[in-house]
Amino acid sequence: MNTFFLVVGVGMCVLVLFCLYRATMGPDVLNRAAGISAIGTKTLIILLLMGAVYERVEMFIDISMVYALLNFIGCLVLARYIEETGEVSC
Amino acid sequence: MIKDYQDVIVKTVARLVVPFIVTYALYVVMHGHHSPGGGFQGGVILAAGFVLLGVTHGLERTRRRMSEKAAGVMSSVGVFIYAGTGILCIILGGNYLDYGALTGLLLVSRPEARSLGILGVEIGVALAVMAVMCLIFFSIFTVDEPGEDEGSTE
Repeated sequence: MNTFFLVVGVGMCVLVLFCLYRATMGPDVLNRAAGISAIGTKTLIILLLMGAVYERVEMFIDISMVYALLNFIGCLVLARYIEETGEVSC
Repeated sequence: MIKDYQDVIVKTVARLVVPFIVTYALYVVMHGHHSPGGGFQGGVILAAGFVLLGVTHGLERTRRRMSEKAAGVMSSVGVFIYAGTGILCIILGGNYLDYGALTGLLLVSRPEARSLGILGVEIGVALAVMAVMCLIFFSIFTVDEPGEDEGSTE
């Protein structure tokens, strides 16, 4: 089971790279925002998998909850910024 | 200046989530010496609740809950709690922040006095961090009045 968690975690890390490409090279602000929020949720899963590998899930659950919370607030602030500056062309 | 958000979903979700954020922040502060977290992290999560309120419900409503004056006073009070605990330890015959010396004042055993002293310091740190984070948020999102400052264009 430990190997399974490790493999899934490494696969998630590879997927983060694709999202990072979209967040840095994205042709629009909206693409970047979507990439950033996808990276946030993937980081949450990676944290929980790390907790399962190290057999200390109760420690990592605290961190991942805070991460989910701040990701939500960051997403909202980013949406607010995009709305106010009107940088979206569509 | 952030105005009121005209979206029912976002406003309702924020109103439902903010109490849980504050409760979780208190848990992080109180449980800081057993699990990840502590004063600074708890203070930041507390401030995140205020940031969420400010982003969704407008800056004016948030100022009614937490004015800049109150934030300044709270940051000073937090530093005072932190330094006061340390100086209390010196008065009771220990070193600075040597919580074992508090055993005479709290009437508990020495390890319990250390735990309670750390808790007091963490509450002070959380208060100061929360107030300063709120002040930073207010100063970033407040646009200067026109005419007051020639540099601003918005």
